Amino acid sequence: MKSLNILLIEDDAIEVMKLKRVCNSFGHKHKIIEANNGEDALQLLEQKDNLPDIILLDLNMPKINGVEFLKILKGDNRLQYIPTIILTTSNNQKDLLECYKAGIAGYVLKPLKYEHYIEKIEKLLAYWSMIELIKA
Amino acid sequence: MKDRQVKILERAIVREKAARKAAEQILEEKSRELYFKSQELEELNKRLELLVREKTTQLKGVFENIVDAYVVMNLMGDVLKMNEAAENLLGYTIEDSINLMQMVHPQEQEKVVAGFATLLEDGAVTDFQVKIVIADKSERLVHINASLIYDESNSPIAAQGIVRDITELKNLENQKERLLLKLEKSNEELQEYAHIVSHDLKSPLRSIDALVSWIKEDNKGKLDAASEQNLSLIQTTLEKMELLISDVLNYSSVAADNNIAEQVDLNSLVSDLIPILFVPEHIEIKVMHKLPTVLGDKTKLQQVFQNLISNGIKFNDKEKGFVEIDVLDLESHYRFSIKDNGIGIEPKFQDKVFKIFNTLNKREDSTGIGLSIVKKIVSLHEGDIWIDSTPGIGATFFFTLKK
Repeated sequence: MKSLNILLIEDDAIEVMKLKRVCNSFGHKHKIIEANNGEDALQLLEQKDNLPDIILLDLNMPKINGVEFLKILKGDNRLQYIPTIILTTSNNQKDLLECYKAGIAGYVLKPLKYEHYIEKIEKLLAYWSMIELIKA
Repeated sequence: MKDRQVKILERAIVREKAARKAAEQILEEKSRELYFKSQELEELNKRLELLVREKTTQLKGVFENIVDAYVVMNLMGDVLKMNEAAENLLGYTIEDSINLMQMVHPQEQEKVVAGFATLLEDGAVTDFQVKIVIADKSERLVHINASLIYDESNSPIAAQGIVRDITELKNLENQKERLLLKLEKSNEELQEYAHIVSHDLKSPLRSIDALVSWIKEDNKGKLDAASEQNLSLIQTTLEKMELLISDVLNYSSVAADNNIAEQVDLNSLVSDLIPILFVPEHIEIKVMHKLPTVLGDKTKLQQVFQNLISNGIKFNDKEKGFVEIDVLDLESHYRFSIKDNGIGIEPKFQDKVFKIFNTLNKREDSTGIGLSIVKKIVSLHEGDIWIDSTPGIGATFFFTLKK
């Protein structure tokens, strides 16, 4: 399995710990880059030679929120090709429609139970390590 | 004179006399007739005069007592007559000798010129709304119905109009619209708020679950059985808490969401629903008669059937349990029934179960919100819901939906 460069945009420290723990516990070689908000993430994405393979994005964040971040991302010639998956608690139809309009690769509902979270993230990472990605 | 001549003359006189008498009689008769006629005419005249006076008084009464302002003007727009209501409305008296155009709001001049032209052409104007400036310089929105007055040769000599002040009415209408918009917005905000709150409330639960999982994982074999169990209880409690939050969100969504009214085939809705419900082996779900198609919101109606059928399954304590779904065609409504042979509900609790947070049985999988959601949805569809139950034998939930 190919190892992925993952940009996780998430302001909740425990959510970050969760993803890291899942990635570590199964001996994957996925690399996680953290950003606590959309602004930080955009700064990280300035480094053009080190772009992530996929972005995992939390919708509710301070400063630039998820949807705003998406719009900036998809408006950028280079960054628009990075598959972005939404991690969210709310299945608010209105928000999700807006995300799909902006252009997302999918969304994952954060489950309550950690064991269900492991299952979902496992499958998600397995899927994206198989997918051939294009880069601008 | 000869005798013959005398006789002729005498006869002539007699004839003459008779003729005169006849003529006099006719004259007398005629004059009597004439007298009666003139008498009659006089009577008639008096009656006519009375009638005219009566009509004039009536008109005057109408003119003076009419609640709406009444204005008569010549074809140049000079006001000739006003009733009290008109004087009150406009703030002018007839002595001010005002002209129509004097009162029209500067922005409305063209509209009034056009309106007057229509009046002259068609003889009447109805539902004409225009802004005017009255004597105290304040603005009023008025509603006018006007028509022309004609002389005996049928040419127009004046115009009369009923003027109604609709400033307040219009203000109220605008206010109502503003309030409705505001209500709609605050409903939307409430919905948004419910989503945010539910998100914010669920996030910590998720974190706690992860942390507890890690403690369990990292201390495998090191914790005693009681601690292991307590940690598991924390996780069960978290699940219950999450369910509660979801249900509260659902409850608040029922009325806030825009209702989609469509034809819903309940027969296929229910038969699609049954396979996705968890039905234990000892319980049988039966649809007794073909269910109708009703006008409503599909997702919400599904929620009604799902909640009621699940309840029938959940609270079944018999060895061979059943849940029977049936329908009765009433005149304006359909009456549905969901019947089970479960534990039943005591009469004193039968109204209580529809109130939010009233669960009669402490169960992990029930929050006491399900039936209140059902009731809310049924009410939204202009229906009613009630229970018929014998404790220990079973319960039947009846609800109606408007055709």
